[in-house]
Amino acid sequence: MAHGGLAAAVKMVRSSTVGSRVDTGSYDDDFDRVVAEADLIFEAVTEQLDLKQQFFDRIDKVRRPDSIVATVTSGLSINQLAEGRSESFRKNFLGLHFFNPPNVIVGTELVAGKDTDPKLVDFIDAYCTKLLGRAMVRTADTAGFAGNRVGFKLLNECAILAEEHGPLLIDELVGPYTGRALTPLATVDLVGWDIHRAIVDNIYELAPDEAHETLKLPGYMADLMAKGVLGRKTGGGFFGKDDAGGQIVLDPKTQNYVAKASISRPDLSFIDEISNLHRVGRYVDGMRAFAEATGPYAAIAQKVIAGYISYSFNRVGEVTDDISGIDRIMGYGFNWAPPSVLVDTIGLKRTIQMIEKAGLAVPPALANAQEGTTFFDDPQVNVGKFFVAA
Amino acid sequence: MAQIPEVYVLGGYQTDFARNWSKEKKHFVAMMREAVLGALEETHIEPSEIEVAHTGNFAGELYSKQGHLGAFFLEIDPAFSGIPTARHEAACASGSIALLAAAAEIEAHRYDLACVVGVEQMKTVGPGEGGDFLGTAAWYELEAKGIEFPFPKLFGKLGDEYDKRYGIKDEHLAEISTINYANGKLNPNAQTRTWYMNYDHAMSRDEFNGSIGGRIHISDCSQVTDGAAALLVASPEYAKKWAERVGVPLESIPRIKGWGHNTARILFEDKIAESANSEYILPHVRSTVTSAQKRAGIANTSGIDAIETHDCFTTSEYMAIDHFALTAPGESWKAIEEGVIALGGSTPINPSGGLIGAGHPVGATGVRQVLDCHKQVAGTAGDYQVEGAKNVQTLNIGGSGTTSVSFVIGT
Repeated sequence: MAHGGLAAAVKMVRSSTVGSRVDTGSYDDDFDRVVAEADLIFEAVTEQLDLKQQFFDRIDKVRRPDSIVATVTSGLSINQLAEGRSESFRKNFLGLHFFNPPNVIVGTELVAGKDTDPKLVDFIDAYCTKLLGRAMVRTADTAGFAGNRVGFKLLNECAILAEEHGPLLIDELVGPYTGRALTPLATVDLVGWDIHRAIVDNIYELAPDEAHETLKLPGYMADLMAKGVLGRKTGGGFFGKDDAGGQIVLDPKTQNYVAKASISRPDLSFIDEISNLHRVGRYVDGMRAFAEATGPYAAIAQKVIAGYISYSFNRVGEVTDDISGIDRIMGYGFNWAPPSVLVDTIGLKRTIQMIEKAGLAVPPALANAQEGTTFFDDPQVNVGKFFVAA
Repeated sequence: MAQIPEVYVLGGYQTDFARNWSKEKKHFVAMMREAVLGALEETHIEPSEIEVAHTGNFAGELYSKQGHLGAFFLEIDPAFSGIPTARHEAACASGSIALLAAAAEIEAHRYDLACVVGVEQMKTVGPGEGGDFLGTAAWYELEAKGIEFPFPKLFGKLGDEYDKRYGIKDEHLAEISTINYANGKLNPNAQTRTWYMNYDHAMSRDEFNGSIGGRIHISDCSQVTDGAAALLVASPEYAKKWAERVGVPLESIPRIKGWGHNTARILFEDKIAESANSEYILPHVRSTVTSAQKRAGIANTSGIDAIETHDCFTTSEYMAIDHFALTAPGESWKAIEEGVIALGGSTPINPSGGLIGAGHPVGATGVRQVLDCHKQVAGTAGDYQVEGAKNVQTLNIGGSGTTSVSFVIGT
């Protein structure tokens, strides 16, 4: 098992030198010795509270009192995971959420528990930034932390909208031109429906907020999961292929698949126009055209994007200290246009109008800002890269 | 006769070389636009102030089936309507040639403010086809036609020639690669900044680091890169007004203090035959380096604080080391072993990561090199800053050592 994992790592990084720098072992024969010697114990077992706690119990018994214990979790509470552990364990314990695949995606969330030594948090932040080349974001110990909270809210909203409008149309409406490389429902298929459900259920249960209903898993997804549909890993989810290799799309209403070619595209000329502007680098013109587009389809896209912006700004103070934390994780973790980039590109006044038109409350940080304020504050990022031309 | 005016480099901008603009489904004009608007923002200059624009590009006709790239400058901003433009091509030295043209026009008192933009979109095609396109920088019919990856093979031969005359070791080439990748990790615009690399990998010879041209392995190569870089260059009159406007002393603005420009015969074997009795393998490259230093009033490379050189392959940087006379001819390995060229050494080479670490969008490279010199001299290079850099020199090479251009940028 462990050897297979190492071979996969060598293949992923495309260098055999990884092999000579790693020792593998088994949980039965090597665990106690290796954990006792380690400076950093990096736990990445399956996302089950009881399973992780079993391992932490074993670690706590043999680790050195000064060793660091980091856990990879995308949603479990760091404080809950630390419950029942020794004082030195809790002091040296934190969450380190890498996104997949970690050799490509550098955005990483750093989550301290209530007993974590603040000096350790600073050290891990600097270590990961300088030595591992990560883009670190500190978040509170809240459900889904920052990235998944904001990201899966949008993804689930798209899944809900797909019930009425179909996955193909929704993925085009909230597609690359709105600031992302991969379309939302294709992302859910890639991540896996089971993972999607675990994340949104967790947020729905633990973090009731102004968008509570958009975090409720659609019933048709639960039905299909009961029949074994989990996305790409089971051969298809919202999108798949028929036996002849033709592209097929889920019809959530009937829970059957139909040929992609049989689905007609309504008039989406506003998307074509915006894509053409993005293609030649006129992102501001493109996103202004987006905010001003009219018609029922434009309204759906505007509502989702307005919701993404307002939901992000409303999380400041709850999941991160400032909007730049959410901006960083959406940019470096999801490869989506960060909310501040959208506000800067669309323009403050137009953004506020778009949020109001969507029937959402305007976050105070936007309502109280002066026109001309620049929200995105990372000069290293080429903001144009997020606006993909269809 | 009027005195030749100085040419000031006010600043510029490069795109993030890790981006894949084909995946973003973009036209190269988007890249030009981001670079030029970025340069204007960086320097607080209005589009309407630019009087002339020069574009460096190698092979838009091949990669994007589009020529006439100078004209695309006007697509960036309505204020550019009517502006004189030109596109310059000299293979991988295209960007430097564009800058030479802009500088010459300022020296001739024709214009006071010029924009130079280098651009190349290379990921429109796969590696095989791209390698074939790059072959047109050599004598295609004789050196590239029907040959898979002709350029690694030509620069492999450069290594072979060193081996024949002086001896060369893979370990030193691997060290060059390692340094460039390590420097690239400090550069937020470097293409390879998140890639896995170390000396052991550069020395490995298995499936993950195969040979693609004799002694040239994958880790010895520069990258296939989409990218653009833009510079704003000005006359003393403009620079003086600009300095007052942005509140900096005129003396603190980096200038083009010297330049060198030579061409050698295009066939690699003709170059080698020609240099049979020279201690330098590419004597015209040596002339380019020394004439730039002479024009700058700098006696030799000891007056240069850092170098941005053309490491299209590790052998090209190995060649640059002795052609800059950091060592006697054939002894480049000494500068590598003694740590001279590492960041923190006495003459760091490619603090940016160079073409191997930062990336090599062919037509943009010469412009990117001068931009990095500007950053070093202005003290804005961030994590890859060479402390106290006053004079920084480029070496930009088109073809197999065919067209060479060098600039000394300093205050």
